Amino acid sequence: MSSLALMRWLESAPERYDRGMQWLTFGRADEIREAIAGEAVKAGTRVVEIGCGTGALSAKLLANGCEVTAVDQNPAMLEQARSALASASAGKIRWIEASAAEIDSLGDGVFDAVATAFCLSEMSPGERAYVLRAAARCLRPGGRLLIADEVVPDQRVQKLVHALLRGPQVLLGWLLTGAVSTPLAGLAAEIEAAGFRIVGNRGWLAGRFRLFIAESKGEAPA
Amino acid sequence: MAIATSTFKHTSLDFVQTALRMLPWPTEAGLRKIGNPGQESPVLITCNYDLTVRRLTRAMQGHDAWLLVAPSSGINVWCAASGGHLSTHQVVSALKTSGIKEKVSHKRAILPQLAATGVIGREVARRCGWKVRFGPVRAEDIPAYLAAGGHKSEEMRRVRFDTRERMEMAAAWGFPTAAVIALLFYFIKASWAAPLALWSIVCAFALFLFYDRLGEPRKLRFAAATALTACIATALVGGGAAALAAAAVSSLLLTALLTVDYPGSTPLEGGAHFAENAWQVKLDPALCDGVFACWEVCPESCFNKLEDPRKVEISHGERCIRCGACVVQCPKDALFFEDQAGQRIEPDIIRRFKLNLMGSRSVEA
Repeated sequence: MSSLALMRWLESAPERYDRGMQWLTFGRADEIREAIAGEAVKAGTRVVEIGCGTGALSAKLLANGCEVTAVDQNPAMLEQARSALASASAGKIRWIEASAAEIDSLGDGVFDAVATAFCLSEMSPGERAYVLRAAARCLRPGGRLLIADEVVPDQRVQKLVHALLRGPQVLLGWLLTGAVSTPLAGLAAEIEAAGFRIVGNRGWLAGRFRLFIAESKGEAPA
Repeated sequence: MAIATSTFKHTSLDFVQTALRMLPWPTEAGLRKIGNPGQESPVLITCNYDLTVRRLTRAMQGHDAWLLVAPSSGINVWCAASGGHLSTHQVVSALKTSGIKEKVSHKRAILPQLAATGVIGREVARRCGWKVRFGPVRAEDIPAYLAAGGHKSEEMRRVRFDTRERMEMAAAWGFPTAAVIALLFYFIKASWAAPLALWSIVCAFALFLFYDRLGEPRKLRFAAATALTACIATALVGGGAAALAAAAVSSLLLTALLTVDYPGSTPLEGGAHFAENAWQVKLDPALCDGVFACWEVCPESCFNKLEDPRKVEISHGERCIRCGACVVQCPKDALFFEDQAGQRIEPDIIRRFKLNLMGSRSVEA
């Protein structure tokens, strides 16, 4: 029995991830994805989605008429996304099994938007910096970067609450999703350092989840 | 003083992390230096499990190397690779994003052998141009492996399950079980909490040290031995009839709990004890053309190299723990799993869905 539970934990189970994300965001995950999809439509139609998981955001992008290139490194998640969206996706979506770092092989300046939800917080700082620079390169000038993720809140009281909840939250997050995420502290600065101008942002759950909307300056730093 | 403090810190961390090794202990992924590495220094890749990174760093003391910590969700190499958390993609990502390319003049990296259940070496090369090799199973063998010019002895390839490794697994199972039991009994009958917790730790150690060495009927023998020991111990401390009965029943329950099935807890799981449920690794000799990737990564040395014609044979199938590393690595798809009904599970399914002793046990068609 105990071993069965452990097996479930260690398995990278797609169902668990979705349910866990929904609990961790107090049911807001979907609302946040809705906001990203809305912004992506304003940017144009060609969207690359980093870390599509089981396709929750991909579905919303498709519903809004985007052409989606969905990238994820977990084959089990991709398989689930593929079968869930089989009927809705005809010719409008391309699935790529790869790490986020490999979006640099998709071509330069070929997308209108890069969208990603709850994915950057699972990366190391080095990976994040690389992926953000690669995102800048694959966008056309003026293309949009849409990142929603768990962040360290800006305000002092919220920060304190965050620090106190951190330990239990990591454990809970891991038990629920099987992933270890680190709320991002300097995401805005990282986005700007990669060659973007932030043009808007929105927060959820007392600033613990934030959507950044940034525009490519069209001159990605080397 | 500083050395003493650091030793104390490491020893206590080792202890805590071993007792709670079921939990992830993430450390920051990225590039680190061991000693004073240069352009020609070897590049070692490992997981971002803190205990492993610290042990590897200690094992490499006095040597110069680049250590590339790949993101594995804070899980150890074997479990992460077998459960889908340390795959080709995490390794490619680490190689591309860490900046290692600018630090060395070569593109060769060494992975732990036990990563072979998840990382496909030739895929890493195709995706980012790095040639990865599977080094020894244990970190402490790396200096000797490097000194031998990348030659891996049989000893370096084998998972030994020696007493130390068995004790670690026992601690990893025993302490969480004890904690759960103590918590449970704190509310039911508080005076039983401590003795039962202690008893579950003793049982876990007995299980990992002796269980697979018992003759059949193994489970019955183990249950009888623990129940008898519990009764004797209870009688010695002056327990009455009720306490004796409780000791016997709790031992039986504990044995039942501890011997269900052990995904990944080799040597108990995957060996002959659970053979009736498991798949067998099969070889199609017609497809084998002597690449010997399986031979290189098998932690139980189940394969034998044949020279004329150049092929492998499964010479020690009885030792197989079904980790699937050979199936994952074979470039010719000559190895595959077959279930008891003779149904074949294609290598690509194993690669993508991690069908092995640690990962999924089944996949919906």
